[in-house]
Amino acid sequence: MSSSKGASTAVWFVLRRLTRDRSALLGFALIVALLLAALLAPVLSTHPDDVFELHPSERLRAPSRAHWLGTDRMGADVYSRLLFGARITILIGVIAVGASLIVGVPVGLVAGYYHGWVSDLLMRVSDVFLAVPQVVLAIAIAQTLGPSLPNVILALSATYWPWFARVAYAETRSIQKEVFVESTAALGASPWRLTALHVLPNIASPIIVRASIGMGFTILTAAALGFLGLGPPPPTPEWGRTIAESREFLPDAWWYATAPGLAIFLTVMGFNLLGDGLRDVLDPRLRRTHTARDE
Amino acid sequence: MRLLALALHRLAWFVPTLLGLLLVTFVISRVIPADPVALVAGETATPAQVEALRRQLGFDRPLPVQFADYVARLARGDMGTSIFTRRPIAEDLAHRLPATIELTLAAMVVSVLVGIPLGVLSALWRNSLLDHALRVATVSGLAIASFWLGIMLQLLFAMRLGWTPLNGRLQGFPPRSITGFYLLDAVLTGDWPTFGGALLHLALPAATLAFPALATLVRFTRAGVLDVMQSNFVLYERAMGLPRFVIVWKYILRSALTSTVTQVGLLFGILLAGAVVTEAVFDWPGIGTYAVNSILRSDYNAVMGFTVWAGAIFIVVNLLVDVTHTLVDPRERVS
Amino acid sequence: MTHGRSSLVLAIVIGMLAAVSSAPVLAQTRFVFANESPYDTMDPHAAFDVGRVAVRLNLYDGLYRWLDNPPKLEPWLAESHTVSADGLTYTFKLRRGAKFHDGAEVTAEDVRYSADRILAVKKGAAALLSTMIASGTTKALDRYTVQFALTKPAAIFLAVVPEVHVVNAALLKKHEKDGDWGEAWLTSNEAGSGSYALTRYDPAVGFIARRFPGHFMPWGAKYIEEIEFRTVKEDNTRVLGMIKGDYQGTGGYLPNDQVKRLREAPNVKIIEQESMRIKIFQINNQRPPLNDVHVRRAISYAFDYDGFNKDILGGSVERNPVPIPNNMWGVPRDVKGYTYDIDKAKAELALAKAKVDRPLTIGYLQGFSQTEQAATVMANGLRKAGIDTKLTSEVWPTMVERMKKPETSPDLVVYWISTYYADPNNWIGEMFHSGQWGTFKASSFYKNPKVDDLLDTALKSTDRKVREKAYQDAARIVVDEAAGVWVYNTKYFGPWAKSLEGIRFSPIGNGQEVRWVYYSK
Repeated sequence: MSSSKGASTAVWFVLRRLTRDRSALLGFALIVALLLAALLAPVLSTHPDDVFELHPSERLRAPSRAHWLGTDRMGADVYSRLLFGARITILIGVIAVGASLIVGVPVGLVAGYYHGWVSDLLMRVSDVFLAVPQVVLAIAIAQTLGPSLPNVILALSATYWPWFARVAYAETRSIQKEVFVESTAALGASPWRLTALHVLPNIASPIIVRASIGMGFTILTAAALGFLGLGPPPPTPEWGRTIAESREFLPDAWWYATAPGLAIFLTVMGFNLLGDGLRDVLDPRLRRTHTARDE
Repeated sequence: MRLLALALHRLAWFVPTLLGLLLVTFVISRVIPADPVALVAGETATPAQVEALRRQLGFDRPLPVQFADYVARLARGDMGTSIFTRRPIAEDLAHRLPATIELTLAAMVVSVLVGIPLGVLSALWRNSLLDHALRVATVSGLAIASFWLGIMLQLLFAMRLGWTPLNGRLQGFPPRSITGFYLLDAVLTGDWPTFGGALLHLALPAATLAFPALATLVRFTRAGVLDVMQSNFVLYERAMGLPRFVIVWKYILRSALTSTVTQVGLLFGILLAGAVVTEAVFDWPGIGTYAVNSILRSDYNAVMGFTVWAGAIFIVVNLLVDVTHTLVDPRERVS
Repeated sequence: MTHGRSSLVLAIVIGMLAAVSSAPVLAQTRFVFANESPYDTMDPHAAFDVGRVAVRLNLYDGLYRWLDNPPKLEPWLAESHTVSADGLTYTFKLRRGAKFHDGAEVTAEDVRYSADRILAVKKGAAALLSTMIASGTTKALDRYTVQFALTKPAAIFLAVVPEVHVVNAALLKKHEKDGDWGEAWLTSNEAGSGSYALTRYDPAVGFIARRFPGHFMPWGAKYIEEIEFRTVKEDNTRVLGMIKGDYQGTGGYLPNDQVKRLREAPNVKIIEQESMRIKIFQINNQRPPLNDVHVRRAISYAFDYDGFNKDILGGSVERNPVPIPNNMWGVPRDVKGYTYDIDKAKAELALAKAKVDRPLTIGYLQGFSQTEQAATVMANGLRKAGIDTKLTSEVWPTMVERMKKPETSPDLVVYWISTYYADPNNWIGEMFHSGQWGTFKASSFYKNPKVDDLLDTALKSTDRKVREKAYQDAARIVVDEAAGVWVYNTKYFGPWAKSLEGIRFSPIGNGQEVRWVYYSK
């Protein structure tokens, strides 16, 4: 498992198993669709200027040939703004989860490798961040720093890293007990060598699974922040904010609230399905003992 | 005993963890670059103006002094006074807690009463239409933004059909307060119209809050039942010719339920967290909206108070969960 | 199902039916009003705003009262008044036999106490009154005569006197604690003489009051026996509630889309009245580059007035180019104001000595989506003119705090200024006199000695012609200097239950005075 040839065979094996899982494929397709929507937004949208342009005389029009998903309260095209909103969604998700990973995994590794008060301290620090509902902590951070895109990302990273730390910690501890690790350590291998060659490859799978599920969760929380008005300010076409805007025009302008909600749903579903599929393939052991706590 | 050692070990860390939580909240509110004093003072304020404002607000004292002062008062049970409601924060929290608990309990009841049976059925009739439909539904359940779900439910049931009210906990004045739970108080005072009204108001928020919990519960119950079904002793019983429903009732359900019970405790924690957003959508006068409003209004005393309360609860819940995990599954490696 | 369980189900069903059907049974004697803001205090001296006016109008009385539209000052607790020749002494003669809810008679001593109390509590109308009278100078000459001594002649004193709500001095003195003038107690109780007496109050819900038969104003043959004012924050909930009949009245400044829905409801009628409530953008005149008149003019040309008033608000408002409502006297009729013209905006920017090299902050109010939309429209226009913007939102109390100082106030802030008293000073006077800095109306931080002079003249004189000319001249200067952006004047579209009659709307009371109202059948 520790040679590079072994690693690439493993990846190939995983991919083959994955393609046989229909729901994982669906998830992957959804994610690809999201990426395409974001990347090609200027091309795919019918009214690319409507990200900041207003047409008050065309406000709240029902879906039509001109406006596939109707217009919003400023007369802007809902469909086009949705596509540009995908950019924001991806940006937030990738950076927030990435940052959480970069911070959380090393913390978990160190806490797992060592025993004693250092380890305790690190895990208790992560407990502190887990103690308050994530949404509330994110709200507090976002409000203090001021509603903006970078601050939302910061708030989400600051509240999600403990999950990676916990996974890294649990896996490191369980691998430590494996005989081959103990014997390698007894032979005098340095902590770094042990970690890099033995621990990391083995915790890779749960980390990847956690990252995929984390994307979905982070996107939902980001949308909630946007809904509460703590995300990027208007006229940014962030999906959560759009839903909040639409409320006063219900029930008549139903498309205004439905479209961004469906976009969020499909995006998160994509990451969740892929994450589930990855989990089934990479670590069948996890499937059965998967608990609600991991969400 | 290993369990006792674990419990004591975690309890020893309870106070430091709580202090750590306070420190984090305190730090966020007092130290991070966009310091609230500067925020209030505005981007173009001169340093002299910001300093004058800082002195005025008492924020010029050394941070450890401010923090120590807050902790000292907290130890005496004084959470401070809310800038907005002008009442002691402990009083505000106590006033609003029943609303959140009532909502969370209702959601839990719904998710347990609906989720567990569905999970069992899904496992028993594995790969049937019902099973597939449920699996799709449960995956969706965790992908739907709960605030959006709430709005869609409002759109359908309150606006289009008119079956339920749009939001709020009750129309007008609440029943005489005995427990603070409207349903209970209405029953105790025999106020049936209020009972009916409170129930109708509870319907949509409880459904919204229950949805992700329900999905999780169905998935987990299904997995648990499947596990048990494939275990050796069940196969033995089946080979012995015991009727299916006997096996289901006597062994599978009981085993599945035992592990589910530990999950339900955890569910409470999840639901409490989800309540924040759900309360915002339905204008539910609970702890969640209190926390959000306090944050939005920069009522930092109230934010700290809420954090203390919520933090203490979650730390305790986490401890209980870890303990029960070790009890239930000795294989699990918990520190 | 066991017997116990089926009766529980039955009880629940009955409960729900009862909940649904209980409303119309009480309708003939009850009136429920859905209010946008919370009633966080019952103290009439602690609030001055429209959001909580129902408390002051229904539970309390003043010496005079503003009634009807166009608003007229009518004798109320006082029958008449005289003014000394130098305009410094106002003597009011009280009517006899007016009673507080606890049976005590309303006397001049109560009025004297109330005037001093407002000034002491330092909230609500105190800021305005303290410019005209000083604490301890009001005198009760005899049981029914009270005299005010003004610090300087003020033409608006009479217009503001209705805000001196008379409280039961003896009752309050009983509940005084540590010299707080009974403030802690009056927050949750009442000491009034008004048409309705408080029976129940919960700051999270609202208040209920019962008719006071002994009120000095005669009651008609028909009246409302019990009133309830409830806080219902969401527009949609208030609209749905009106349609369902849960409420019989609500605030008349709903968005146009909602008003349309209500017009179509069979049991709701819309009472349309011209009001006096202007929507404005305050410009922070002190902060560079906004201290350059060309930059301010550019901003004035950058707002799409027609797009906002006609399209977004569906034509339910009138363009109001001057900081005085169109239907108030004192408006210079020849001033057309600014139009939406990006080319003119760019031309002004070119003339400006100060360069706009940073994004301008536009502040709007959380929870008032119309201000968010206005801010977005302004941002869009400014962007077209080459100016970047950053939108920022606060809840109203926080925004008021920020607007107290030029250093903390945003570059632009959008909100409304309603009628606190029917006089041009309520708008242009309080908005642009340099002595008003620190009040929420004066976040323009404008300073022009010439305008100050004109506004002072208008305040001192009691000659309507002199005052009118002064306000018109001041308005001309302020518009020329583009000291702010003035968007529209509101119309009042009041939703009321169709069977209600006798509603008397005035821009100050906003129709929330229930003593005139009754069910027609």
